[in-house]
Amino acid sequence: MSPETLAQIVLTGLTVGAMYALATIGLSLIWGSLGMLNMAHGVLLTIGGYSAYAAVSVAGLPWPMGIVAALLFGALIGLLLYLGVVRWMVGTANFETNIIIASFGVAIALENSILQIFGGQPFGQPLVMRGAVDVGLVSIPYQNIIIVVGSAGLMLVASYVMQQTRLGRAIRAVSQQRDAAGLMGVPVQRIFLIVLVFSGMLSAISGVMLTSSTQLAPALGQDPMIKAFIMCVVAGLGHIGGAVAMAFALAMVEAASQFWLGARWGFPVLLTLVILVLIVRPAGLFGRVSITRL
Amino acid sequence: MPKNSDQNEQFPTQSGNAEGTPGASGLNRRSLLTGGMAAVGGAAILSQVNGPARAASGDPIPIGAALPLSGFAAADGVEFRQGLELAADEINALGGILGRPLELHYEDTGDMGADNVSQAMQRLVDLENVHAIINGYNVGTSMIEMDVAADNDVILTHFNTFISHNTKFLEDPERYYGCFQGDPPEYWYGPGFLLFLQNLEKSGAWQRPNNKLAIIPSANEYSIVIANAMRDQASEFGFEISLFETVPFPNSQWGPVLAKLREDPPAAVAITHFLPQDLAQFMVQFTSQPTQSLIYMQYGPSLPAFRDIGGENVNGVLYSTVIGALPDDFGKPYERRYKERFGENSAHNTASQTYEGLWHYSLAAAIAGGTGEPFDKEQNKKVAAAMNGLIYRGVNGATRFDPEGQSAFCYPTQIGDPSLGMPHQFLQHQDYRVQARLIAPDLYKTHDFVAPPWMK
Repeated sequence: MSPETLAQIVLTGLTVGAMYALATIGLSLIWGSLGMLNMAHGVLLTIGGYSAYAAVSVAGLPWPMGIVAALLFGALIGLLLYLGVVRWMVGTANFETNIIIASFGVAIALENSILQIFGGQPFGQPLVMRGAVDVGLVSIPYQNIIIVVGSAGLMLVASYVMQQTRLGRAIRAVSQQRDAAGLMGVPVQRIFLIVLVFSGMLSAISGVMLTSSTQLAPALGQDPMIKAFIMCVVAGLGHIGGAVAMAFALAMVEAASQFWLGARWGFPVLLTLVILVLIVRPAGLFGRVSITRL
Repeated sequence: MPKNSDQNEQFPTQSGNAEGTPGASGLNRRSLLTGGMAAVGGAAILSQVNGPARAASGDPIPIGAALPLSGFAAADGVEFRQGLELAADEINALGGILGRPLELHYEDTGDMGADNVSQAMQRLVDLENVHAIINGYNVGTSMIEMDVAADNDVILTHFNTFISHNTKFLEDPERYYGCFQGDPPEYWYGPGFLLFLQNLEKSGAWQRPNNKLAIIPSANEYSIVIANAMRDQASEFGFEISLFETVPFPNSQWGPVLAKLREDPPAAVAITHFLPQDLAQFMVQFTSQPTQSLIYMQYGPSLPAFRDIGGENVNGVLYSTVIGALPDDFGKPYERRYKERFGENSAHNTASQTYEGLWHYSLAAAIAGGTGEPFDKEQNKKVAAAMNGLIYRGVNGATRFDPEGQSAFCYPTQIGDPSLGMPHQFLQHQDYRVQARLIAPDLYKTHDFVAPPWMK
């Protein structure tokens, strides 16, 4: 294998890994901190992409307003998800299971709303930086650099909020023991609201970056949602940094498998690795096993 | 080729000969049933067959369509629906079918598959009593549509573009008498592409740098049948397969595939994957370090999304379609009507399939003396016979059904007479800001092939 080919595989792994990571951050935050598998996460990515498009291409606003629009709509959907669904289900029996079904329903409704509003034809995201820079043996598109840096940036923001702020401490308290946190004065419902809004904003901005490297289409969030789910499980719930690291590592393995074994073997190899990891470490690579005393 | 008068700017109305006066051919149902049925332009024929029944005031005729109106193929599903709407309005304006207006009913097939599609079609029969079902394409169905149509004795026209339609029809022609595929099967893409390359070389417009051909299908029946047909016949055209790589469906990251192409550059790359956004991504990633290869793709480049996402990177790309509106006196007025009604970004080529399907069925039903309700085998057999006998020149070229499968004939690979086969059109994106240009077959082409910008 020539150095050029090796460089291309590494570049593909980095780019795909960044895309997986972008998809993973919001889901990891909400799943890890609230125990809520948000099946509407994929459609939040979609809404982020379409909001930026609507602001820039339809309303004719300057490109920074595209990012602002994505943040606003991401927050709004997070808010509506809380007010319309989550608020009524927190604390009820089988919350963790029921919320999967409820948020899946929300996802279907939102995806079809996008289909009705924007039509089904895919099209390009206006917030895209064209061109590439030659680095040694390969040519790296600027857009790829943006999403790699962007995914790292979003991960740092999420990690900082979770580890270094009072809000993060409250979220972690709710995550560890919801009832105890409530008894200690942590406003559990408000924490759910804040996490949903924050996660909505993170997902929406991830969606902007993701679609700038792919395309806008009503169903665009479905595939990233599956990949994000896998990354969260294999990294261990609640470990955003671990999920992002896994996104890059598994994408690299996938890219190498696609080259050596054939393009169609990338995903099966990735899934095989995930199964092996979960057999050896059921709580995920970075997860902690919780022990419940009777 | 026929020329349109101002009058037939509204609908293609000519019949008989190129200089013919619209509506003056003295056609009637008896003459069409007893003589050769060659229809050039549906409106004139329908006007004549309808006779005084121009008001379309009788009981409506329910027509069904099982379309992917949500899910990943929703964009095409919406265009299919719009194509039906346009055709139905035009047909109804001419008196419908023997004075009875068409009434359209839709069922969503979502992400398609045999279960969704068969249930959607059955609902159309059970709830709406549809006399015919005109689908666009549905994938993953194993052609179960034909069983639903046969079990309920309704006419089915679909545009799945599958050779498996022919195979299934030939297993029991009596059972599947009412099942038609309105375009040629995907198989013809394979030999058609190789023939195109051969003709391109003969014309001197392109010289192969080596004999290598890379074929890249995705994991679905349509892509794989085409890729296999190319692979199996490549040696007859002097090519050796240097890469046969199946990619996942969908697939937007082409890095590993591009690495292989760059290691061993072929004379031509044929990508039989068909999603426009994925193909546009291929070009974005390919043009950063191109090889000296012709790039041929399947279906996706015909959609506006391909140019929109790929931008200038798509210049030079070749693609072909066995069905699409021709840029001629029939296709162009249709395109204008369609875009005036549904917007400039609408995909008239996708809609032309169901548009043509409904026109063809309506003409045949009018000639046969009317439509048949479900389970009216006697009448529906007459309609099917009329569809088989009718050679119809519409916006996509000529439709004539191959008795060995009841799919449309493909010109020039399958049949050498352009008046009897739907043209396998080869197009090239030469300027991403405008639509692709038709470069083959010679009879229909509007532009010549130009070397892609990445080839020195």
